[in-house]
Amino acid sequence: MIATLLESLDPLVVELIEALFETLYMVFFSTLFSLILGFGITIALITTAPHGLRPNPRVYAALDVSVNLLRSFPFMILMIALIPFTRLVAGVAIGSTAAIVPLTIAAAPFVGRILEGSLLEVDRGVVEAARACGAGDTQIIFRVMLKEAMPSIILNIAILAITLLGYSAMAGAIGGGGLGALAYNYGYLRFRTDVMLYSVGILILLVHLIQTGGNFLYNRLR
Amino acid sequence: MIHIHDLEKSYADTPVLFHISCHIRAGEIFGIVGHSGAGKSTLLRCLNGLEGYQGGSITVMGREVQELDEEGLKQLRREMGMIFQNFNLMQRKNVFGNVAFPLEIWKTPKEKIRTRVLELLELVGLADRAQDRIQNLSGGQKQRVGVARALALNPKILLCDEATSALDPQTTLSILELLQDINERLGLTIVMVTHEMRVVKRICHRLLFLEHGRTVCQGATDDLFLAPKQDLKRFVGDDYTLSPTGTNIRLMFPRELAQQSIITHMARELNLDFSIVGGRLDRYRNDVLGFLIINVDDRRLESVLNYLQEKNLFWEVLDDDRHLA
Repeated sequence: MIATLLESLDPLVVELIEALFETLYMVFFSTLFSLILGFGITIALITTAPHGLRPNPRVYAALDVSVNLLRSFPFMILMIALIPFTRLVAGVAIGSTAAIVPLTIAAAPFVGRILEGSLLEVDRGVVEAARACGAGDTQIIFRVMLKEAMPSIILNIAILAITLLGYSAMAGAIGGGGLGALAYNYGYLRFRTDVMLYSVGILILLVHLIQTGGNFLYNRLR
Repeated sequence: MIHIHDLEKSYADTPVLFHISCHIRAGEIFGIVGHSGAGKSTLLRCLNGLEGYQGGSITVMGREVQELDEEGLKQLRREMGMIFQNFNLMQRKNVFGNVAFPLEIWKTPKEKIRTRVLELLELVGLADRAQDRIQNLSGGQKQRVGVARALALNPKILLCDEATSALDPQTTLSILELLQDINERLGLTIVMVTHEMRVVKRICHRLLFLEHGRTVCQGATDDLFLAPKQDLKRFVGDDYTLSPTGTNIRLMFPRELAQQSIITHMARELNLDFSIVGGRLDRYRNDVLGFLIINVDDRRLESVLNYLQEKNLFWEVLDDDRHLA
């Protein structure tokens, strides 16, 4: 039924819908995976930080530098440099699925940083109180810091998803598809300004939706 | 209960505690008193291992704190509740959730948590606020939640870190009454850090005064305040501008004499004129105690001292430290 519905539509509309789904696919999974990876970095950072749970200046310095290093790579370069790795992980080097790999790798250190910021906002006194009733490090991270920082984490996830939305447009360069690629291919290369405007319009809508959703959840949780 | 012997602590190269020794008895309310920066909160944090120390020893219920491993420290902390100046409650949990937190950490079964939390909220007078958000509570109510949380695991010792310093006088009083009640009813040993003299006088049995990380003096509260040594006088702002002529005598009113009209009686009996330099009556725990400083003519000094001797009063001639005032 969907096939017949799609046939009856303008082929360009079909392309727009496909691009939208490719974008959502890339953003969703790269957000998810970079959160998982990045949270690991966050835990390592706040644990070893000077006033962390287990201060370790050397490990912290090493992590700090690596995070900054990875974040300073232009995404375009990183994406191409990662092609062999992408092929290893995703089995293919081009396409939406392949794009998720460099997106995740690029975003993970960013996630590590912004979630570190969220957890550092947690009142040190609350952490001390938990420690004083016999809580261990793992309990403090998951039951106290993560819980208390949740509103701020939600806002940061919205920022992350929007950043990845922007990055995913560049994924067109390795055949990732999506709205960014559509806007570029039609609007810039074929002078189809209307297609470009539609694509950009949908992107604006997406950014707005993600941010509004984030704000809504933030206010609910606070 | 707690033995501190020759304790020394420093942060990096800066020493903060010097040769502190004291003994906190089971069932008492012990005050650690000092101005800010005196090291009193640091000392308190050494008791449950939130801070380490470099020299000397602290034994709590027979255990040397510094020698405990991770698991041993957790066990120790389980037996020592703690409350804080800023309450340190979790903003994203409600009243019930905050009190339940220590029980969850120690993997208490759900039904037990429920009954225990409700029992604790009853004890601190917040039975009807279980579902309230922390933001909606007043300072005094927040501290009551703090007390309930600290008592959740049935500790033997309660550590209070400036627990009333963020509260107004009326609320302070109600929290102190709660603490006193807990101390008497549950036999809980309370160690209390504060810079507020009225708090100390109101509930502490015994005291340790700290200044710049050193012990100024220690002892029973009424002894210390009724006949303070020079250091303590300066500390508590208990200095009076003494008259340069005549002799200044400080009369102490211990509990059995505080209500009697000694002074007017003496004036009548000796047909004496004197001026009053200063004085104070305070409530110490459940007694009203105080002192009065009078100035008498040097020629009448002998008869006054004889009278005081006869009546078995505590007194002190103050002129020796006039220049120190």
